[in-house]
Amino acid sequence: MDTERLAEILTEDARPVRPLPQPWVRSASWLAIAFVSILVVVYAMSPRADLAVKVTEARFLIEQFGALATGIAAGVAAFATTIPGYSRKIFLLPAIPLALWLGALGQGCISALIQYGPSGLSLQPDWICLPAIVLVGAIPAVAMAIMLRRGAPLFPHVSTALGGLAAAGLGNFGLRFFHPQDASLMVLVWQFGSVFILAALAGVMGRYVLNWRSVIKASPGSAAVE
Amino acid sequence: MLMQAAQAGDARAYALLLKKIIPRVRAMIKRQRQFLPAADIEDLAQDVLISLHAVRATYDPVRPFMPWLVAITRNRLVDGARRYARQKAHEVNVDEYPVTFSEEGTNTDGDLYGDPDALKQAIQALPSGQREAVQMLKLREMSLKEAAVASGVSIGALKVSVHRAMGALRKALSKE
Repeated sequence: MDTERLAEILTEDARPVRPLPQPWVRSASWLAIAFVSILVVVYAMSPRADLAVKVTEARFLIEQFGALATGIAAGVAAFATTIPGYSRKIFLLPAIPLALWLGALGQGCISALIQYGPSGLSLQPDWICLPAIVLVGAIPAVAMAIMLRRGAPLFPHVSTALGGLAAAGLGNFGLRFFHPQDASLMVLVWQFGSVFILAALAGVMGRYVLNWRSVIKASPGSAAVE
Repeated sequence: MLMQAAQAGDARAYALLLKKIIPRVRAMIKRQRQFLPAADIEDLAQDVLISLHAVRATYDPVRPFMPWLVAITRNRLVDGARRYARQKAHEVNVDEYPVTFSEEGTNTDGDLYGDPDALKQAIQALPSGQREAVQMLKLREMSLKEAAVASGVSIGALKVSVHRAMGALRKALSKE
């Protein structure tokens, strides 16, 4: 088939399509879904007993802000990576909140070291973090995958890694409302570590979630001539 | 403007847009893949058009059109190169195919079906919808889109009919 004939066939399928909203608007819709699901999980798991005290502590608030901002920035960046024409600099959008989050945890570790000596940096197993973050972040992650698949699979691994970081970041944000673990090193290793592992796993699965083959298959006109 | 109209379902605007961008897409591909023969450049251009059509909802009317088109073209070129490299990795170049056995059966050019009359009869015995699907898609080698237009049957229904027909033919011919 020659290219001009292909253009004719595609034109026959020129049904109206609704342009995707801008990444930040899509991110706001995703956050609305994510917040509701996080709220339900936190309520189901029972909020921690000392929550009223915790929300008045600057360090807890900064760390939570870091996790939340990382999740939001990674979400905006993930949606932007599926829109052709955006600069690749958008990949780095979560870097600043991520640095803030890591910085706050690092500063917490140093404070503990100064205050309590080496015993302030003791590390115990806290295996519940990974499945708990998965539990809180599961619905946001599924919603993210569905929404990303409506875009163009330009950078599948980057998009899903950023999407995974967004969902896991929010998962960690939710986790700390019911999991009473605040030692900075523990949070850094078990919680931040889990977020990192989940984002990396999501990145590895990039081509399974986002690929041109499935995008073309889902489009009636393109699928007919492929 | 044209793309915005195309997103709203304006087929004439979409046709005009595609007509305008085809030479640009070709030129972009030629510039980046100078070593490719014309047929491969056309294949890649068609890949770009099919992809563009599939993700036309991702165009934001408030943003410029050309960076959107260039991003899709470059991405499909990279994808094409990756596919090519993967294929090449599994190919082995040989000067001459070795003959494994001297018997005629192992050295025929293709898998020709031995009894065309039985095949004709089996096709005639198919239900009319399946028979038409086989005639259009397999015997006349029409595309799904062309066959759908010619028969007034949806592409999905055609796919189902031809799949069932092939199953029925396989069954009928293996019995004989």
